[in-house]
Amino acid sequence: MIEVEIFPHRYLKASTTEKFLNKIYDLKTVERVVIHGQPLPKVVNYGPARGTPVNHTERKIINVKGVPVELTVMAGRFWITLSDDSELDRLDEICKELFPFGYNLRVGKFLKDRPTVTDYIKYGEDGVFLINEMDRRLIGMVDPRSRMATSVTVVEKEDKEE
Amino acid sequence: MAYEPQFYPGQTKIAQNRRDHMNPDVQLEKLRDIPDDDIVKIMGHRQPGEDYKTVHPPLDEMDLPEDYVRDLVEPINGAKEGHRIRYIQFADSMYFAPAQPYDRARTYMWRFRGVDTGTLSGRQVIEMRESDLEALSKNFLIDTAFYDPARIGIRGATVHGHSLRLDENGLMFDALQRYVYDEKTGHVLYVKDQVGRPLDEPVDVGEPLPEEKLKEITTIYRIDGVPMRDDEELLIVVKRIHRARTLGGFIPVEDVFEKL
Repeated sequence: MIEVEIFPHRYLKASTTEKFLNKIYDLKTVERVVIHGQPLPKVVNYGPARGTPVNHTERKIINVKGVPVELTVMAGRFWITLSDDSELDRLDEICKELFPFGYNLRVGKFLKDRPTVTDYIKYGEDGVFLINEMDRRLIGMVDPRSRMATSVTVVEKEDKEE
Repeated sequence: MAYEPQFYPGQTKIAQNRRDHMNPDVQLEKLRDIPDDDIVKIMGHRQPGEDYKTVHPPLDEMDLPEDYVRDLVEPINGAKEGHRIRYIQFADSMYFAPAQPYDRARTYMWRFRGVDTGTLSGRQVIEMRESDLEALSKNFLIDTAFYDPARIGIRGATVHGHSLRLDENGLMFDALQRYVYDEKTGHVLYVKDQVGRPLDEPVDVGEPLPEEKLKEITTIYRIDGVPMRDDEELLIVVKRIHRARTLGGFIPVEDVFEKL
């Protein structure tokens, strides 16, 4: 199992993100994808306009292989887990096609694969025991401060989360 | 002794651009003409056509104690009328924006009277009497080569974005999406005022400047543009200031300074 980071040189529009995700989910080796980027707020948080809805055009529900995914960030980085490196070239081709402004593709280690001190603080020892029991592929998918239900979507094909 | 201001050290294009910004005798190139009312709308302090609110009666009508400083210093128009003080704030992208916060602060101080300015890493606020601020915003801050619709944002709150990558259309990231890129005309439209309140109709601030033009007029040293280390004269000055400030805290003796 290898991890790949894709770093486009521009922040992506929701439509490009949608196209990209659909394309990489066509690959056989893609197991999970984490989208990282700038959060887009629903309402204005500070200042005289506090509470006014933002209505950002890039914060919307996209369609990945028929599964609706709420995009809450402007995507700037993808961490992708691949089962092996046989389709790295095809991944590179997809990026070349969709990111004409340039991108970096790196193979490395980007996601955690075992519970850390943060998880002990957040869930307690019993909770961590449960994490150990559950699907290992969920570890490292979510920011410890966010709720899992809102930030992980399971795209059925052969069990893929994003 | 007649003092000749030098404004800024350095031999590179960037240093020259900074000097041009600061030098009040230099007229910056006028690139666009945005109607007064549109700028009032973006600033969002009053409705276009509405009277200026005042915080005190006109200075002529006030009974002020005698003070010779008041005779020496001519008040600006807004102060004479008693208009309130309002602000406009800009965020400048690190991707070759024409201006940047420190350059703005120095430029404001060299060029304008009656301003109060605050510098932060990503944004720069200018406070002034409302009527003067509007005139200055139009004539200098937005209409000239001091501004670029894509790389500079007019943002009163939630300014985050100056150090981020641009988006696909080349605009600086804005969480509140105050401005959008019109893909048909290629212009940038403000759909919200500077704090994020929606506008009735979009304000067109023109086309983003091309990359080559931005690289020509920018005041930002960058490794992929003109790096700061290329500018020997500037480095000498910066090092000198750095040493003096560092050693100054330790009350150095004379011979330490001689070695600098």
